[in-house]
Amino acid sequence: MHLSREAIVEGLQRIVGPADVITDRRILVESSVDNFRKLQNIFDVHTMPVPAAIVMARSTEQVAAILRFAGEHTINVIPRTGGTATEGGLESAVPDSIIIDGSAMNRIVDIDAYDMQATCQCGVPLQALEDRVRELGLTTGHSPQSKPVAHMGGLVATRSIGQFSTLYGGIEDMVVGLEAVFPGGIVTRIKNVPRRAAGPDIRHVVIGNEGALCFITEVTVKLFPYFPENNVFLGYTLKDMKTGFEVLRAVMVNGYKPSVARVYDPGDAGLHFSHFAADDDCVLLFMAEGPAGIAKATADGIAAIVAGFAECTRVDSAYIETWFNDLCWGPDKITAEDERIRQTLNVNRTTEISADWSSINDIYQAARARIIAEIPDITMMGGHSSHSYINGTNMYFNYFFNVVGVGPEEETAKYYLPIIGIICEETLKRGGSIVHHHGMGKARAPWVRDEYGSSYYILETLKHAFDPEGIMNKGTIFPL
Amino acid sequence: MSAVRVLVCFKVTPDFEALREADWAAAATQGVQTRYVRRVLNCFDESALELALGLSDAAARLGVTVELGALSIGGREVDPYLKTLVALGYERAARVAAGADGDIADTDAAGVGVGAAAGAAGVDGAGLDRAASGLDFAPAVVASIIASYVLRADHSDLLVLGCRSGPGDGGTVPFRVAEALGWPCLTRVTSIEPLGDGRLRVGAMVDDGLLRVTLRPPCVLAVGNALVSHLRAPTLKDRLERRERRIDVLAAADLGLDIAAELRREACVPTALETIDRRRRGAVIAGATPRDKARTLFDSYLSDLIETL
Amino acid sequence: MRFAALLDGTVATAAVQAQALAGFLGDGLRGDLAGETFVLYCDERDRERLVDLAPTRDVRLVKTAARRPERMFDCLTAAARGGDTALFLAAAGATGTEIVTRLACRAGGGVLTDALTIEARPQRLVCRKNVYSNHLVGRFELRARPWCVTVDACWNDTRRSPSPSHTILSESDESGDAGRPGATTDTRATGATGAAPFADAELLEAPSSGDLAKSRFLVVAGYGAASREGTERIADAARRMGADFGVSRPVAMNAWAPMDRLMGVSGTRAAPALCIVAGASGAPALYWGIEKAGLIVAVNPDERAPIVANSDAALLDDAVAVLEELAEIVAGRRTHE
Ligand SMILES: Cc1cc2nc3c(=O)[nH]c(=O)nc-3n(C[C@H](O)[C@H](O)[C@H](O)COP(=O)(O)OP(=O)(O)OC[C@H]3O[C@@H](n4cnc5c(N)ncnc54)[C@H](O)[C@@H]3O)c2cc1C
Repeated sequence: MHLSREAIVEGLQRIVGPADVITDRRILVESSVDNFRKLQNIFDVHTMPVPAAIVMARSTEQVAAILRFAGEHTINVIPRTGGTATEGGLESAVPDSIIIDGSAMNRIVDIDAYDMQATCQCGVPLQALEDRVRELGLTTGHSPQSKPVAHMGGLVATRSIGQFSTLYGGIEDMVVGLEAVFPGGIVTRIKNVPRRAAGPDIRHVVIGNEGALCFITEVTVKLFPYFPENNVFLGYTLKDMKTGFEVLRAVMVNGYKPSVARVYDPGDAGLHFSHFAADDDCVLLFMAEGPAGIAKATADGIAAIVAGFAECTRVDSAYIETWFNDLCWGPDKITAEDERIRQTLNVNRTTEISADWSSINDIYQAARARIIAEIPDITMMGGHSSHSYINGTNMYFNYFFNVVGVGPEEETAKYYLPIIGIICEETLKRGGSIVHHHGMGKARAPWVRDEYGSSYYILETLKHAFDPEGIMNKGTIFPL
Repeated sequence: MSAVRVLVCFKVTPDFEALREADWAAAATQGVQTRYVRRVLNCFDESALELALGLSDAAARLGVTVELGALSIGGREVDPYLKTLVALGYERAARVAAGADGDIADTDAAGVGVGAAAGAAGVDGAGLDRAASGLDFAPAVVASIIASYVLRADHSDLLVLGCRSGPGDGGTVPFRVAEALGWPCLTRVTSIEPLGDGRLRVGAMVDDGLLRVTLRPPCVLAVGNALVSHLRAPTLKDRLERRERRIDVLAAADLGLDIAAELRREACVPTALETIDRRRRGAVIAGATPRDKARTLFDSYLSDLIETL
Repeated sequence: MRFAALLDGTVATAAVQAQALAGFLGDGLRGDLAGETFVLYCDERDRERLVDLAPTRDVRLVKTAARRPERMFDCLTAAARGGDTALFLAAAGATGTEIVTRLACRAGGGVLTDALTIEARPQRLVCRKNVYSNHLVGRFELRARPWCVTVDACWNDTRRSPSPSHTILSESDESGDAGRPGATTDTRATGATGAAPFADAELLEAPSSGDLAKSRFLVVAGYGAASREGTERIADAARRMGADFGVSRPVAMNAWAPMDRLMGVSGTRAAPALCIVAGASGAPALYWGIEKAGLIVAVNPDERAPIVANSDAALLDDAVAVLEELAEIVAGRRTHE
């Protein structure tokens, strides 16, 4: 039976106690959106259904009990940890949802420097884990820009990727095992092994599920030795993104594994590099890391490859190193950016896609040209490629527009969604993927069938099998 | 009614907050190496630029024309900012060239205070190398460039600029310019509104409150902690439309100034940098909950002290 | 050598200025100097109190009608031209900066603002002041005389108390008709300036930042407050503890608290006996506002925040939660007694 908001709150209070059920109206309203509709929070104009409650889970058992309760009464639940989602994954699509907040499950369970793996609860901020393992001369190798604010559960749930992915891979290359609770309160643990061939890799049912299949309570990730003293930085300016993609490809197919390999188009480069790059310059940069011999060989090899591209002009590596040291976004930068938006109504959005080497430049050029031509009030339309693979790379579109003539609540409809639409169309047309690392959320869910094609059968079957009542994060990955 | 001719002066500075502890620690002996950090608008100047745009918008609604101009002293890294301002409706955009393309030494050519010679000679700390520090610690020279530009080239009658900028943090430039021009100066300005009759209504923080003043240009307005602190962004279309507009690049000599001689006359000369050790005990107070920690803090540090307050 | 201290008694911060000047003359100034104080005032009722505040025995009184200090210039410029006075000192602040800068320009001297210490040598004045947003201290030499300096506002520990009795050396009344309220009379003004450019100046808000500068017990909220509501909760906790309330620049810029609460390089500098920094990282620009505090307590969940090492005691926790608990303890203790 459909429960009233009061009854939902009471039910949750019976499970976790009253102190851990948040019903403060203001907090609930702010929690009805994430960064996808961040303007609603910045201007305090809200249009989404207000969740019934936020429940602070403190143990796997509590999560199981909450999921059982939600299942019995078919209440939508939205898993949450760090709250940095950018694609609407945390948005309440239907009234009276429960947000299960795992941020209080923040214990680092074990750091094993011999077996080189660390186990932590879902609410451990990645920065906290990274700081702890650094004391042992180790690193997780994971460094998304949101490292100071995102938590391990959310990072696994969104299939996140960090700035050093070209060497360490995405989160899917790091997770060795985990614990997750499925609807009905079923607790499952995938053991930590180096590899196994005992059937399909079920980790991948959990990694990237965006809270639409299960709640992740604990994860175990790999650890790596950390040699910051060996880091070598390389930077170049060039005029053409096409050349930039060609250089990245040459580096990858020649077998080099820099930790960072990026090319910025002039618009995006202007935001970071105007103190050394001209305003029509692209900027290409690399970081090589690891044991001294490897770092040096990697940097030398890359330098030799780039030297073969006459268009590229080397810049002082100190520019790149200095930029690199100030990359991550803590809460202060996020709040400052919100304030900038509040004053100027100039909004910054990003959309990341991936494609093979043959298509990436075409997608970049076509999407960029169409957005400039079709969308009004654009103030910057650019982007960079920051994660490369042997067969292709990603494109991280970075764009700004002024919100003109509509209220903050209409920003997504007037600007953001049409831009996402263009990027998705141009990407799908050329066989790329519409989501490289932020997750589908609710923003790109409408394209899920086009993204998957005939393999949508597999995805949809997972949803039906694990979440038959459809209580897990309605509207995320699977459109309403 | 005649138009108001406004000139906003701004400085593009290295983002000092992007430097690391180690960079500051090395400053006393090696100077501050700012070349590699990204550039930002001096925060007070950013407010000034936006307040002037707001003034122009409000004046237009009253049927008064406000002609905006922008001036900066610096190297080529200033040009993207000037282009942005032109796209936003600044009709005049000028740069008095410093660094590679000007007759003023550029700060980021060497970083401030490198003073290798003085350092090697072992005099107390490294001497600040005037040649390398550009105009960073030469407010009198900056003021005479601005005043000369107003008098010889721009003929503006309202000058708006930030009340202070780093690294010198002196706050004297607006008053120096006002003195040179013979204009009154209001500092710590937080708002500027047109009255439609050529007068302006200006809000300014003073040491004991907020002052609201009606004034008629010419005058100098030095912008302080205004709530308007971010410059709006021009659209790509604005940029395209104003792409052909020229940015004037002047040498100090074009304004009749001999920078070397001006620098020699500067009455306040930087001689050294000292690092600051702010460390205290940093005793971490343990406890399971905020309440426990607050209790321990109170018992071991505050209970007696608070009685005396 | 002689110095002249300038006390602007037309604004409510006179006592703070006087304390800063007295402290500076006692501890910040080295060199063989004797001096007098120019006291600017506009209301006869303040006269006696202001004379008492003067940090030197010898006092010269200048009466103006305006709340702005430019009327002082004729007297000061005359004193400077006399050549006898090598050094002019004013307390840091908007008016202090204006006075010393304009004076230096007119008298051909050198100017330095917010001096931490100065040392008078025969041909030059060696000064130290914070530069690079308080990341560093710079040492400067003022060569041309008169040396015109504003002194750092934080010389509160007045070991040398203001002189007990004062001698009035001269009095002048500049409050004539040129001194309409708010009028700036610029001795070098050209015809272009016109008369009385600042008509009808009006003071809108009650003085408050002056209180911050004098605070004995200060709570400073930073970004860690996370919202306007968090900031208000910290402000409320401060109130319950009987503390004054200040904020970091980002908090003020987000309008989570009024701008006059701003501490640091672009706001107020204070020297309270106790300062609790709640949720601020303690960047040098903010730290400048509190570094003279007797005891600094940091509340910040991030142990790597600079404020932790730069505090006497640190609580690694949420700022709002800790402050509310602390307020309860302190308030309970106070009512208990
Ligand atoms: C400034 C900024 C920079 C960013 N940089 C990067 C980057 O470099 N790389 C990158 O990949 N992403 C980046 N992101 C996106 C975001 O940080 C990641 O998606 C991150 O993984 C989310 O983690 P979180 O803990 O904040 O999760 P949340 O925001 O709390 O949740 C994200 C999604 O995961 C689900 N979820 C959360 N916790 C659980 C759980 N325990 N079990 C099941 N589902 C759960 C939620 O329902 C939601 O759909 C950035 C975001 C911001 C704001």
